[in-house]
Amino acid sequence: MVEIAIVNRGSEFARVVALLDQFGKDHHLAPEIIADMHVALDEVLTNITKYAYTDNAEHEIHIRFRVLDNVLEAVIEDDGMPFNPLTIPPPDISSPLRDRSVGGVGIYFVARLMDDVAYERRGDTNYLILSKKTND
Amino acid sequence: MDLREEKIGEVSVVGVTGRIDSSTAPALEKRLTENLGAAQVRVVLDLSRLEYISSAGFRILLLAAKRADETGSRFVLCGVGGKVRQLFDLGGFLDLFTIVGAREDGIAAAQ
Repeated sequence: MVEIAIVNRGSEFARVVALLDQFGKDHHLAPEIIADMHVALDEVLTNITKYAYTDNAEHEIHIRFRVLDNVLEAVIEDDGMPFNPLTIPPPDISSPLRDRSVGGVGIYFVARLMDDVAYERRGDTNYLILSKKTND
Repeated sequence: MDLREEKIGEVSVVGVTGRIDSSTAPALEKRLTENLGAAQVRVVLDLSRLEYISSAGFRILLLAAKRADETGSRFVLCGVGGKVRQLFDLGGFLDLFTIVGAREDGIAAAQ
């Protein structure tokens, strides 16, 4: 298992990207699996930094990666407001360009790219667990 | 992410290498805003060397396509394959853009 703590700023994401790349190499994971996890993490971390905090203070976000029983797992912990992404309805992805929103697909991507997404609120902390099978 | 631009006649071809995510999307936005700043321009975005794109990147592509629509410009994507095509498909984006196969097809389609 590897772990990293970042603060809630977009400029911090590159360190998570580098860590996941290295983790993928160390565990010989397929580039497609790692790419899916990169996209899902970008969506989750973007959401947290944009929407989770009502103050302007620095907050730590903790990210852990591990592989267990052929599943790559990322656990993201933040102390922002309670937010369960599993409750967000899917976006409209069928309207033409003119009517299409330029946002709103992030959480949908997470749900579709991962094999499992679990959420828990414990005390003041959001736990989001992203799981991706490594053998398909 | 690395952007490489080439001018072929009237057509600006921008090749993207690497990843488009929330960290790199602003640089792409800046480039496409410059390219599509005038009316009736022709821009091809070559995604054949793109590894993946997150929703932050799709936002920029959608803004560019809308902008091109409004200004009578052409904004063509080429080299959309593998993982990247899968992400386009997942988000329902394949029908929103003019997407062709190879770079030469992109240049032809933009002219």
